[in-house]
Amino acid sequence: MFPDARRDVLFPVIGSAVLFSVLVGGGMLYQTIIGNGAAERLMTTMLIDAIIVIGIQIYIGNTGILSFGHIGFGAVAGYAFAVYAVSPEEKLKRIPNAPFGLTDTQVGPTLAMLIAVVVTLVFAFIVGIGLARSGAQSGAVAPTVITLAVLFVTHEVAKSWPQLTGGNRGGVSFAIGASLDKRWPILLALFAALLGARLYGQSRSGRLATAAREDNLAARAMGVNPLVQQMTALLISVVVVSIGSSLRVWQIGSILPDRFFFDYAMLTLVMLIVGGRNSVTGAVLGVAVMTAALELARRLGQEGFEIFGIGLDQAPLDWVFRENLNSIVLGIAMVGFMIWRPSGILEDWEFDRWLYRKLDRDEVEPELLVELDEVPDLRFSASDISVSFGGFHALSGAGITAASGEVVGIIGPNGAGKTTFVNVITGMVEPTHGEFSIGDRSLNGMRSFELSRSGLVRTFQNLRMFGALTVRENVETAALVAREHRADRQLPDVDPLIREAGLWEHRDRRARELDYGNSRRLELARAAAMAPSFMLLDEPTSGMSDSESLTMIEQVRHMAATVAAGVIVIDHDLGFITGISDRIYVFDQGRVIAEGTPEEVQADPRVQAAYLGSMAGD
Amino acid sequence: MSELVQNLIDGLGRGSIYALLALGVAVVFGIMHLLNFAHGELITIPAYVTYWAFNNGWNWWTVVPLIVIVAVLSSLLIERIAFSRVRGAKDFTLLLTSFGVHFIVAAGFLLYVSASVKQIPRPTWAANTVAISAVRIELFDIVVIGVTIVVLAGTTWLLQRTMFGLALRAAAADFDTARLMGIKSDSVIRGAFALSGFLAGIAAVFWIMREGQVTPTAGIDPMLKGVLAALIGGLGSLRGAVLGGFVLGLAEVLLRSWLPIEIQNLTTGFVFVMIALLFIFRPGGLVSVPQVERV
Repeated sequence: MFPDARRDVLFPVIGSAVLFSVLVGGGMLYQTIIGNGAAERLMTTMLIDAIIVIGIQIYIGNTGILSFGHIGFGAVAGYAFAVYAVSPEEKLKRIPNAPFGLTDTQVGPTLAMLIAVVVTLVFAFIVGIGLARSGAQSGAVAPTVITLAVLFVTHEVAKSWPQLTGGNRGGVSFAIGASLDKRWPILLALFAALLGARLYGQSRSGRLATAAREDNLAARAMGVNPLVQQMTALLISVVVVSIGSSLRVWQIGSILPDRFFFDYAMLTLVMLIVGGRNSVTGAVLGVAVMTAALELARRLGQEGFEIFGIGLDQAPLDWVFRENLNSIVLGIAMVGFMIWRPSGILEDWEFDRWLYRKLDRDEVEPELLVELDEVPDLRFSASDISVSFGGFHALSGAGITAASGEVVGIIGPNGAGKTTFVNVITGMVEPTHGEFSIGDRSLNGMRSFELSRSGLVRTFQNLRMFGALTVRENVETAALVAREHRADRQLPDVDPLIREAGLWEHRDRRARELDYGNSRRLELARAAAMAPSFMLLDEPTSGMSDSESLTMIEQVRHMAATVAAGVIVIDHDLGFITGISDRIYVFDQGRVIAEGTPEEVQADPRVQAAYLGSMAGD
Repeated sequence: MSELVQNLIDGLGRGSIYALLALGVAVVFGIMHLLNFAHGELITIPAYVTYWAFNNGWNWWTVVPLIVIVAVLSSLLIERIAFSRVRGAKDFTLLLTSFGVHFIVAAGFLLYVSASVKQIPRPTWAANTVAISAVRIELFDIVVIGVTIVVLAGTTWLLQRTMFGLALRAAAADFDTARLMGIKSDSVIRGAFALSGFLAGIAAVFWIMREGQVTPTAGIDPMLKGVLAALIGGLGSLRGAVLGGFVLGLAEVLLRSWLPIEIQNLTTGFVFVMIALLFIFRPGGLVSVPQVERV
């Protein structure tokens, strides 16, 4: 579950403890300095907000999908908690005719919280299916609107079902024992939330979700099913949000529909984005900063402008320092950050990862990889593939075969059907006719992540890195999938692969900072980490200089040999293709017009006519 | 039977307003991929202006053009102050920006007007009904439907037959290429916001007449209806947005009349559930816009 015990478990534990101490310690300090009940309540509220914001971070941060619905989930949890935890006498007053005989039930707060979590999880699971169907991926609009609808549905139901919820005015109010006068349940939940968020972020599921956040298509090509990881992230985040919301209800002592609606959704989202939504440290910072800013604005609004007893002549600024100043500050914070710093103060800086990099620097350069002697006897074959778009035949009966350890080139003039062929064998276009398979396993109808798990791993013509992840994390993502789905193969180690690609000194840099050639090599290393049976390289030298292309030949051959993979390479650079390939297929007008060794193909008059002729022409 | 006809007309009346809102949302979405959560403010702002106007002795004849003008100006102003600064940003940023704009406007009214409900006199004719045999139809619905048809026809003409419409549709199909073809991005985006504001302004007239009151957060409801209708229709399709508006209006009215009396006030909840089901079976909405995954 965790690739590296020190980095992915030990340091997150230390980091969570530090974040926890800073937030709680800061709160205590403020409380002591101010020394009144209001300050104490403000700090309690801040700690509960922190739990809920961290819960939301688990989903939004790891998947990149904007959700308004988490406060809707919070409402479900809050009501479930309230309805179970409130004493029967109180319920007789507020909700005497509660459905399902709930009026007479009473359970302790802990059990009520558990029930709240379970109820909310069921609801979230159903919503999650809808999100998946709507094409949820980073930044997508439709799933966000669905989450907005979740917020409204829960609010609407809470308002319009007074038998259960006490409705819009009455609400459900409590006196559960001595209410939440001690803070330890909040502190416990806060620490658990921090730890859970950090551990999830470093876990296999969190890593894969983050990869899909960075590039959905590339993640699928690496064998990740983003929908599964998004659902996991959703459910874990909903557990945290449910606990936080139950505590919120418990602490306030009552619940009303408006407590979990637009305003609170806005507040928690602003807290999340101000600090940096992709980092737990950022979420905690955002909670602290916004709590301080809003409290300041509230007091300025109420008391006018006065610092350390020195009051300015407030008349000219009277129009600013008004009641409710804090709510406009909230809106301005949101829009301001979106305009000037959309990734938040810390972006995705994470305290424990920074600490790990500071302390764990004694890395030894890994050994180079040895080419595997034993090459499995596998064949990739695509036979008789036809694709028509309307009346146009993009491919008519094209086919190739490739064996493990072999490098097969595909070449052809523009419009020859190369791209369509790639789209077919990467599962993006359904062929009208034809079969393709590895060994005796048919690949027809597989989705892209199933194809790569079956051993056919591709790279992309235009680079598709997981940009915010480091070089090493890019390769690790593939290795994580390989460990699960390619376990029958001998898996290459991550670090040697990075060195092999000439990226060792760049291992901790973000992939988006790499130059073009290095990005290409990273993509190659990432594909190799999947321990593929066959690598499909889609124009691996596009945008490279001639000399870079030539060195790429060696790298591709060597990299493939270290994982004993066959290579299918599509390119229009004749020098590169003839240099790298053992055999070449020449495509023209949707058919294979020639096949053979580079020499044979070059000598073929049909090829010269179809390909070289047209090359000479442009 | 007559009840059904009455409901259908009622639903079309509501749907007309939703269609106007949804079309405005879709126009802006098409041009800059911004799902405008602040679209409802194009009703709230004119509503407060209306409240002010009535307190200063205006009447509906003079207020109606005022509402439309204020809506267009608000739309342009919001674009200028906020959205023009996040052009081309990620969808996540765009969504939150518009959400923030909604919040600033609502908080502004909270700060400078008040949190309490402000009443606006409803026009007296709006409650009149016309009887056609056994069917009693509200005059208001007839006016709304009639005006909406005219406005939609005008918008269609604008989009199909004018240079501006062509530029707008070209930019919606492929913004970068349209720019390379010499379409000025600034003017086409402003044009889209003006059109969106105009459509919202017409919707605002009817919305304000029907509600007869305004609060700082009154924009949430029309925003949600407009956004949902655009989504039902299939985001990015203008025709779909109009269709989505009518479908949403009819669904609301018909559902309310069919639901047993005890759970009638959960109508909105049921409508949301139906929308969720629609998405499970037709993820692209009613009119799917082909989405090509680019490799």
